[in-house]
Amino acid sequence: MLISQLQHSGLKEKLASTSQDLWALLPEIVIVSTIILLVVFDLIFKKNKSIGLAAIAFAGLAYCFVLTIQQWHSVESSKALMSGLLNLNRLSIFLKGGFIIGLTMALITAIRSGDLQKDFFKSSEILVMLFGLLLGASFMTLSSNLLMIYISIEVVSICSYILTGLTKGRKKAEAAMKYLIYGAVASAIMLYGMSWLYGFTGTLNLTDQSFAIAITQIPQLPLSIACVMVMGGFLFKLGAFPLHIWSPDVYEATPTPIVAVFSVLPKLAALVIIFKFVNLINTPLIDWELWIGILAIASMTVGNFSALWQKDIKRMLAYSSIAHAGFLLVGILAFSSSGNQAMLFYGSVYLMMNFGAFYLVQILERQTGDTSFQSMKGLGIKLPLIASLVLVVMIALTGLPPTAGFNGKLYIFSALWESYQADGHDILIWVFVFGLLNTVVALFYYLKLPYLLFFKTPQSEISLDNKEISDALVGTLFVLPLLLLFFRSDWFVGLMNSINFELWIP
Amino acid sequence: MVHLLSYIVFIPLVAALLVLLTPKVYQNLYRVLTVLGLGLTLVLIIFAVSKFDGSVQGAINSEANLQLVEKTEWFSMSLGSLGKFSVDYFVGTDGLNVGMLLLAGIVLLIGAIASWNIKEKQKAYFGLYLLLSSSILGCFVALDFFLFYLFFEFMLLPMYFLIGIWGGPRKEYAAIKFFLYTLVGSILILIVMIGLYNSVYDPVKTALEAGYEASQVEQVQQLVQDGTIKSGQIVKSFNMIHMADADNYIPGSFLEKSGLAKIFGQPARWIAFLALLIGFAIKLPAVPFHTWLPDAHVEAPTPISVVLAGILLKVGGYGLIRTAFVMFPDSAYHYSWLIGFFGMFAIIYGALNALAQKDLKKLIAYSSVSHMGFVLMGLAAMTVEGISGAIYQMYSHGLISAMLFLIAGVIYDRTHDRMIENYGGLASQMPKYTVFVAIAFFASLGLPGFSGFIAELMVFIGSFKSSAIPAWMPVVATTGLVLGAGYYLWTLQRMFFGKFWVKDKNWVNSLTDLNSREYLMLVPLVILILVFGIYPSLLLDLINNSVESFADHLFQFRK
Repeated sequence: MLISQLQHSGLKEKLASTSQDLWALLPEIVIVSTIILLVVFDLIFKKNKSIGLAAIAFAGLAYCFVLTIQQWHSVESSKALMSGLLNLNRLSIFLKGGFIIGLTMALITAIRSGDLQKDFFKSSEILVMLFGLLLGASFMTLSSNLLMIYISIEVVSICSYILTGLTKGRKKAEAAMKYLIYGAVASAIMLYGMSWLYGFTGTLNLTDQSFAIAITQIPQLPLSIACVMVMGGFLFKLGAFPLHIWSPDVYEATPTPIVAVFSVLPKLAALVIIFKFVNLINTPLIDWELWIGILAIASMTVGNFSALWQKDIKRMLAYSSIAHAGFLLVGILAFSSSGNQAMLFYGSVYLMMNFGAFYLVQILERQTGDTSFQSMKGLGIKLPLIASLVLVVMIALTGLPPTAGFNGKLYIFSALWESYQADGHDILIWVFVFGLLNTVVALFYYLKLPYLLFFKTPQSEISLDNKEISDALVGTLFVLPLLLLFFRSDWFVGLMNSINFELWIP
Repeated sequence: MVHLLSYIVFIPLVAALLVLLTPKVYQNLYRVLTVLGLGLTLVLIIFAVSKFDGSVQGAINSEANLQLVEKTEWFSMSLGSLGKFSVDYFVGTDGLNVGMLLLAGIVLLIGAIASWNIKEKQKAYFGLYLLLSSSILGCFVALDFFLFYLFFEFMLLPMYFLIGIWGGPRKEYAAIKFFLYTLVGSILILIVMIGLYNSVYDPVKTALEAGYEASQVEQVQQLVQDGTIKSGQIVKSFNMIHMADADNYIPGSFLEKSGLAKIFGQPARWIAFLALLIGFAIKLPAVPFHTWLPDAHVEAPTPISVVLAGILLKVGGYGLIRTAFVMFPDSAYHYSWLIGFFGMFAIIYGALNALAQKDLKKLIAYSSVSHMGFVLMGLAAMTVEGISGAIYQMYSHGLISAMLFLIAGVIYDRTHDRMIENYGGLASQMPKYTVFVAIAFFASLGLPGFSGFIAELMVFIGSFKSSAIPAWMPVVATTGLVLGAGYYLWTLQRMFFGKFWVKDKNWVNSLTDLNSREYLMLVPLVILILVFGIYPSLLLDLINNSVESFADHLFQFRK
């Protein structure tokens, strides 16, 4: 299709506008350059590469972040790039900024992880894959074209498969294989669904006028089938019910800093894609409120109830992230500007909570050697600072004051109530009730870790390294925003107010 | 003092920070800091109560009725189509909470003195205790629902750890049970809070937003009802006082007073009221949501039991009045028979259970359930006497139950055993202790001269007069009084009278009479119980005007 377009409108003009658009992709270009630098550096130097690799990685992230901030100030409304393949707006810039912060936090976690530090910075492999994942996730937030969505999702997926299997171990190989098979099937089905949509509408561009018109003329059944197939791929990346089964195994087997990245970047990027997809396929033939509502309820409930029985913290957090995927979907469900903002707020808080949680789990793991609940008994007496931070993060994940987790839930459910008040769709009240009652279930397993840390006495003597103060200082940096945003969430929401959620390009 | 209430709420918090910052070498300072901090708080509370003018008259839903008000904007932001999201730091007192504030100050200080013997992990204990104190006090004075909810939720976590770390053998189970039960309640309250927020606007802020003067409130209310002021200019509000005024509901919103909106086929306002009722009834606790209470009490250390029975239960009752009854008077009237029935049921059920207990602390816990039934029945009566009685009962029970749990603590400290059957004839061994036990028991069973009598009498007068609940309910409930006399006198007889006997001979030497610290806690309580039993007007004068306007507020729906 691209080629035919090029022939129509003149190659020269097209190339000119494309090279013009490259400036808007500067952050992504920096990511690619960082990847190349990492690889080249790895090839040239033979020994003691870790400091150099870390320096390149952090410098790349920092520069990319600066560029993203500049972009935030220069872009006001949605802008089509690359002949409509991409759609640059403040929503995507906001998320890109979040992703960069997230990856930085993951790398800091890796540095403080003790043994893992070597794996991460010994050679460039893990870093390159992580940056590749960042690149894919960035493009996911930018895409508004089905082809581009598919490619960026695949970039993220392939990096994820490799990251899961990269470190040695039988369990890891199994998890990576499982991940790959599930992922490949989900992608294939999604691609098939996309081909249906292309067949119906004759365009791959979701923001195209012709797409919007054509979509209303398709009979209900084939359109529904196509949407189910496409949504399958998205839900796989979101890690929501019913395509969540891969995540506990993958989370358990993968090194903690990488899991932290898995649990946030692809998830939020997929959320944005679902948000675009659902809002752009705007036809009364598909009752999106019912669909998303059922998915949200199922994700929250399945995630929470499965998390109750876990014996490993990382598996527990995996199920918790499934439950949170449900909560994030509620923001889409409201179909209102307040819902969009609440969704973004919740997503940002989720990012902070998860990186904080995985950081602390990594610190505990360094002390005990594994991540089972049993080995955490009584550590709170020896590590009071870390254990207190764990408590704050777990309270935030549950969604209780005084943490931003509460604000996130409050705004999401306020938006939901508002849209129930407006259209009275029955599913909304069920989501409301289920969502809030799920919080009670969630409390039960989130409190398990603080409970073991504080209430139990240690089974055997554990030798601790005396790094608690520095661990806690870094941890405080991760956790403090959760408290600050409770008391002054207006600071953050003010930033979001300038985001235009309009998906159409005028 | 301008920020009197803020000082009251935040002094314990500052003390908590001081405790955290004091190095472990000086760990004996922790309890001193705690007692000093809460002592200062109590002094300020007494000062505030003395400044409180009981003659101020105003409607329960107008800010004119409030005293010692502090109101500043906490944060305000626009959230998409939800409009302006504005939360105030808004605290103040009126007749409904002034008594609770005083009670909280007294009981918290006594709890701090009772904590003197805590030896394990002192820093954490006193830090959490002060944190709990701060959130309890905040909960009683907050008048912004968001702020109220923050304090309400924030009580859970310190309490969870205080029971779970320093409690008895089954402490973990009791702590998590307490947390989960109360959290279910707070989720229900949160649901209604979101609903109310979506339905209520702030007429003053809306006036300013729409370009009117702040004084033109009534005009603005009219314009909002007409639809002249559009939704974009309406500033929604968490203000609990505004939520009590029917004119402040956005037309067409879910919880609008005349609204026909239905949830699950029932009027939305009824559902909201029920959610609040259950939410606070769990905290109160009312049968059948009471089962966490005996466990929590039995496992909690003595000072925490004192605080739990003395104040935390009252948060439930106070919340019920402040939110459910004041904001949904129509629904309250509709469900008054139900509330009255559960009150009556709790009185008898709690008393019957108390009769069957072998553990002294469990007996007292069930007697609390029974006595909280009077609060529900008094409220359901919806008469001035009934409501005053309910508030008086909360106040009086706060003092009496604190004393009862201290008494149970005295014996537990000495022998680590609370089984009634393991003791006999203690009067000869511990005569002074027996005197205090007898006073506490008689006060609790409602003997004239003690504060409990006044409260229960007013509740009965109120409910016999009431047109909201049938007369057979108070009639049946009187059997609760007989049962109460039964279990207390029987316990007194089994444990204290007759020949001295204890199960374990080693206890004999440890069963010494009261020490000076115990006197320090028990004597003031006895004096207070007697004073408020003989001069009820001390408290009633403070609350009377508010209760009357509250009753008027309810009365509109009682025709």
